Order: sequence, then C-alpha cells, then structure tokens
Amino acid sequence: MSEETAHKTRSDMIVCENVDKWFGDFQALKGVTATIAEQEVVVVLGPSGSGKSTWIRCINRLEAHQKGTIVVDGVELTNDLRNIEKIRSEVGMVFQQFNLFPHLTVLDNVTLAPKWVRKMPKTEAENKAKDLLEMVGIPEQAAKYPGQLSGGQQQRVAIARALAMEPRIMLFDEPTSALDPEMIKEVLDVMRDLALGGMTMMVVTHEMGFAKEVADRVIFMESGEIVEEGTPEHFFTNPTEDRTKLFLSQIL
Amino acid sequence: MNEPTTIKIEKRPEEPSRTPREWIRKNLFSNIPNTILTLIFGAISIYAIRALLGFILSGERRWGAVATNMRLLMAQGYPADQFVRVWFTLGCLMALSGLSLAAWRASGRLSVKKISIWTMNLGGGLAIFAVLAPISWASRLGWIIAGMLFVLVGLSMWFGLRDSEKRLSGSVPTVWFTYGILGVLVLSLWTVPYGHYAFVDGELIAETGRTVAMSTKLPFTVMWLILVGSYLIGTQVRDWIPSGKAKGVLVGLWFLSPFILNWIVLRDPDFDYAHIASTDIPLALMFAIGGGLALYLLSKPDLGEIGRIVAIGFLIFAVFNWVAAFFGWYPMLQKVRISFVLLALAALIAPNFAADKRTRLRFAASWIGLIAVSHWLITAINSPSTLKLQGPTYLGGFSLTLFVAVLTLLLSFPLGVLLALGRTSSMPIARVLSTAYIESIRGVPLITILFFFSNILPLFLPEGMEIAELAAIVTGYTLFSAAYLAENVRGGLQSVMRGQYEAADAIGLTTSQRTGFIVIPQALRVSIPPLVGQAIGVFKETSLVAIVGAFDLLRIAAYVVPAQTEFLGVKREGLLLISVIYFIVAFSMSKYSQKLEERVGLGER
Repeated sequence: MSEETAHKTRSDMIVCENVDKWFGDFQALKGVTATIAEQEVVVVLGPSGSGKSTWIRCINRLEAHQKGTIVVDGVELTNDLRNIEKIRSEVGMVFQQFNLFPHLTVLDNVTLAPKWVRKMPKTEAENKAKDLLEMVGIPEQAAKYPGQLSGGQQQRVAIARALAMEPRIMLFDEPTSALDPEMIKEVLDVMRDLALGGMTMMVVTHEMGFAKEVADRVIFMESGEIVEEGTPEHFFTNPTEDRTKLFLSQIL
Repeated sequence: MNEPTTIKIEKRPEEPSRTPREWIRKNLFSNIPNTILTLIFGAISIYAIRALLGFILSGERRWGAVATNMRLLMAQGYPADQFVRVWFTLGCLMALSGLSLAAWRASGRLSVKKISIWTMNLGGGLAIFAVLAPISWASRLGWIIAGMLFVLVGLSMWFGLRDSEKRLSGSVPTVWFTYGILGVLVLSLWTVPYGHYAFVDGELIAETGRTVAMSTKLPFTVMWLILVGSYLIGTQVRDWIPSGKAKGVLVGLWFLSPFILNWIVLRDPDFDYAHIASTDIPLALMFAIGGGLALYLLSKPDLGEIGRIVAIGFLIFAVFNWVAAFFGWYPMLQKVRISFVLLALAALIAPNFAADKRTRLRFAASWIGLIAVSHWLITAINSPSTLKLQGPTYLGGFSLTLFVAVLTLLLSFPLGVLLALGRTSSMPIARVLSTAYIESIRGVPLITILFFFSNILPLFLPEGMEIAELAAIVTGYTLFSAAYLAENVRGGLQSVMRGQYEAADAIGLTTSQRTGFIVIPQALRVSIPPLVGQAIGVFKETSLVAIVGAFDLLRIAAYVVPAQTEFLGVKREGLLLISVIYFIVAFSMSKYSQKLEERVGLGER
C-alpha cells in the first residue's frame, strides 16, 4: 500500500529503453536503458566521446534516436512535431557554451519563450524573469547584453532562461566545462539550490564534488553504453566494474 | 593591523602631441622608399587636381547648361504649375526627419577640436586650390586670402577655447551644427544667383536675369524651417509620449511615405467616385470584416492543425488566382487577388498570435488597417493622374532615380530574405526553387532583365492585364536585386551558430518564431556591410534604366540637355555634376552603414 503511494508521488519522468543512435556508421548510443524518477538528480559521468552528451540531447530531441523508445513525462518521442514541441516546453536545457541570444538583453532572453510559447502577458513574464534573475543572483544585470557578462553570469542567465518556462525536468550538458575555475562555484551553487528545491535533474559534468554531494544516483557511461550506476557512495568508494575503477583512477 | 588599502587611481597620461614637423617626418619621410612613394604620389595628386580644376574652370565649360537645367535634372517633366506638390513631398520628408531626430534623441556631439581642424583644412584646401587652379593672379590672391581667413578662424578657435590645462574640450550638438550648415546654404540662395531659367508656354528655355535661386529660395527656406521646427516640437513633446510608441509610428510613416507621397501626393490620382462607392468600398469592407473574422478564429489557441490546413488552403487558392489570371481562365480584380495573398500570409502567421482575447483582437485590427491602406493605395495607383504630363511619366531625372532605387530596395529586401531562408531551409521544394531562381537570375545581366520586363513581358501578359513602363522596370529590377540580396543574407544565415538554433529549440520556440526572433536578426546584423554595399549598387545601377528608355538622371544629363538648341552638345558638365550627386548619396549611405555597425556593436557583443 505504502509502496503504491510512493510510486504515485514519485512517478517516472524519463524512461529510456534500448536507445540506439548512430552518427553515420558510428554508433554513439548502444542499448541505453535507464529510468529517472520525479525529483531525482542523476549525474552522468564518463570519458569524452562516451555518448553522455548525445544521450542527454536525445531526451529533448535535439538529436533523434534511431532505435528504442524514450518516454518523457508520459509522452513518447517520435517524429510527431506536436509531441516534440510539448516536451521541449517541459524540459529545460542548459548548454556547455551557454548559447544565450547575443542580440537580446538578459531580460529579453529570459522572457522570450514565456511570452511567445506560453503566451504570458508581458508584465507578468517580466516580473517572473526578474524573480528568476534574483534567484540566480544577478538581478542587476537585466538590462545588459550577454556579451557584457562574465561566463559564470551568462550560464546563470541561461539557467534562468530555461527555468522561465517552468520546466518539470532540467537537463545540464556540461554546464561548467567552459567556465574559468573561479566561476564554476557560482553556477554549481545555483544548481544545488535547484536540486534541493525538488527539480528533476539530469547532469552531465566532470565536477566530482557536485556528483558526490548532490546526486541521488550516478550513471557511468563508456563507448555509448551504461557501464555502471548507483548511489554516489557506492560509485566513488566501491565500484564493481573495472572500467569504472580505471576511469576513477584517472580523474581522482 | 588591517589598514584599508587605498587604491590610487592614476589618470592615463596624455599622449605626447607631436608637432606637424615630427608627424610629417614619421609618416611621410621615415625612410628612403617611403620618401620616394610620398614624392611620386604627391606629384600625381598635384597633377590630377590641376587637371580637374583646369577642366572645371576652363573657358570652354558652359556651366550654365547645368544651372539652367537644374529643375530638369531633378524633376524632369513635372508640370511647373503643380510644383507645390514636389515641395509638399519634400516638406513631409523634412518633418519626418526632424521628428525622428528628436524621437531617437540624436545626441551626437562634434568636438570643437574637430570643427577647428575642419575649418583649418578647408582654409588649406582653398589655398591649395588657389595655387593650382588656372586662374588670374588677382583672383588667386583673393582665394588665398579667403583660405587664410578660414585658417585664422580655425586657429583662433584652437587657441581661444582652450581650458586652463591647455586642452580643447568643448563640443556642440551634431544636429545643430548640421542645421547651421544647411541654414548657411539656404541663406546663400538669397544672395548668390545659382542658375537661370524660365518657362515659356510650358517649355523650358534659358533666360538671363531670373535665377533658379530666386524661384527656390523661398521654398528651400520653408523646408529648412520645417526641419528645424519639427525637431524643436519633437524635443518638446517627446517626454510626454511613450517613446516606443512614437518610434513605432515614425517607422511606419517612413515605410508608408514612399508609397503615399509618390502615388497620392505627386501623382494626384483622379478618383472615379461612383466606381469607388459601387465597387471599391464594398470590396474593402468585405475583406476587412470577413478576413478579420477569419483571422480572429484562426488565432484561437486550441485550434491546432486545422488552422495550418486552412491557411495552406488559403495560400493555394491565392496562388491559383494568379495562375488563372496568367492563362485568362476567369476575370478577377487585381485588388482581390492581392488581398487573397495577404489574407493567406496573415493566416499562416495567425498561430503566433494565439493568446488572450486582446492579442487576437489586436491581430484582427491590424489586418483591417492593412486592408484599408492597401486598398486605398491600389485604388490610387489604378486611377489616372490629374497631371498634364509632357513626357511618359511624371517622374524624371533625380526623382525617377530615387523612385526606382527606393522602391526596388523596399520590395527586394523581404523577397531576398525569403529566398535566402528558402535556400537554406530543410524543405527540398523550397530549397530547389529558391536555388534555381537565384542561380538563373544571377546568370543573366541586369540589362537583359530590364529589356525583358519593359519590352517582352507585355507580350506574354493575358488580355486585359497591363503593366506600366515604370512598374515593369521596378518589377524586373526588384527580382534581380532580390537574388543578390538573398546571397548576402545567406552569408549571414550561415554565420549563426548551431547552438543558437539548439537553444531556441530547447526553450520550445516554433520554427517560425526561431527564424523571426533568433536567426534573422543575427543574420542581418552580420550582413550589414554587404547589404549596404548592395544598396549602394542598386542606387548607382538605376542609371541602366536609361537604356530601356526611362528618363533618369543619367539620360537627362547625357542626352536631353545636350539636345537643347541653347546647349547643343554640352555633355561633360552634366556628367560631372551627376557623378557628384551619385557620389554624395552613395557616400552618405556608406557612412550611415558605419554608424549602424557601431550601434549594433558588430564584433563586440
């Protein structure tokens, strides 16, 4: 009985089954199967070229998978445009290179999607945007252009922009890899707050400290496959697979 | 212990100012090759200036041909008794300019230092002119004294206005400086007789004693007053009006002005009011109400796919009407065909306005406005003119050049952007069609296209469909220029990073929103330099329309003026003058593009 209520409150947000993906003849994903529950924070680790970014980009269909099924919040990702639009407005994404719109002010970057996708009135969208900028700690930069901000500030704007759509899931694709060391912390702090607030998150990162502290689960990928997954304690202290041990010995 | 460290802010040291002698030594005579280059180019430029001045001031030149025919060069064939229309047009443009300068808060300032340097340069230039020009010693002395006076004024500015630290730091608003220069020019009309002309029985003949200055000094003074007055009014009221709205209205007026001023004011349509009441007004009402209702329904938020299907149905119907017109299957007013195309395009963008009732109502209201303006314009264009014309058109000379250039640029811009999008789109049909269009147009010389449109196209048209000479030329030129424009825009489109597309997708924008809000603004920003280059090209190459028989600036200077009995064979003066006119316009466009690049912060943001 109690198990069933638990199941209801924490339903599955992302379900991937045997996902295969090729770039030309190169197979980037090989039978990736994983389930991510509501409010869960999952960190995906792996050497470069292991397919972790490709996987996360498949989840909001920036890349199309060729085999297997991906179901996000009950909607299956197919070529149907309406499904894709629906999922994209519920899944926020933060990129390694920020990808802010350089010709719009910070405020316009954040309000664009709520105004035009959610059809939110202008003043409401702006108030919300100001709240979000307050949350990520840069309320005073609203009138500036992205090029006038530091990397860390830009990435926080990018997070605010994604949050403005009130997503149920946030995807982070190496959000700190393009940042100078002293700016990494300010971005990770925002992400930590978000995780504590109960957001479902999937994070590709090389920040082991973040993984240890915040993640509910760590997934280790190599050569397009999931090699090992488990809680951070298990993963960092007692990995079972040789490939995981090798990876950890190289980075720690 | 913890002494607060005081940060000493040091002023950046002043660059040591070089004396003119040091500057010359460093830049012109630094080593032997540099010295040789300086000497060679100095000799060449002295020779060139001498030759040019010799040409201009030679006793054989008859500048009277240009001065007398100034009106012909500017507005050939426009009835003299209706000239107030031309002045009204200019006045409207002046008022718009003044208001725009105020609304956009033109805040540029010219430093006194710059003005002083310009004044000194002008004086120096006059002195050089006096030395090199083939004129008598007496007048040479006069020019040198005038030059020295300018140098003196510049020097006294330089030394008289320095502050205590011996720096020249004052400045004046650029707007007022420009108004001052223009004012001096207008004032000179009252004193200097620039030209001579007279009309006898509607024909232009030369006559000494009366001057163009005399006939235009009053209107030009009024123009100046309108420019300055509207600026002053604008600066007074701009704090009372929301600036965004004021700017929006002004931009709209600027876009409408070529159409309204040309077809309503200059051409003065002779409306057939019975026909208007029986046909035009009912038609406009039908489209306004029916279309508005359809668009209001199509922008319903939860409509989904049906909306798109209906819109595409509209589009197919609209295109089919044109095909039917071409083969003469069924008669239909051109106005109705155009309105259906507009309705189809509006229906396609309707989902972007699917929101609360207010947005949808505003969308429908914009449609009604569009119908009102377009139907009014089409009716005006289709009505005959009340002007008694001497030539084939009421436009000629510089006014025709401007008309063709402005209309071509306005019309080819959206077409070019659409073609560029088509060529880079993922839809195979759009890609193939745009590529085929662009490549085939680019493979044909402009003159061929102009000939095709002015001579051959009328033969292909179905019965009952006519195309006026000028319309044919503008159509052909627009189609030509759009192909080149598309390639420039495509360059910009390719410079937009893939990450921008991904970010737009990731926040849920639709393809058309992504294109309109993210891709095109960035692409256009990058393509400003080539686009302005092309705009300059379009302006200059309007001179080719002379070949298909239009009386543009070039044709009047090269063929009309030299054919007058008074000035038989006098060609060079006119050609030199129109080169200067072309140069001034092209150079201002180029300068403006530099300003524009600075303002959008190309390469910074």
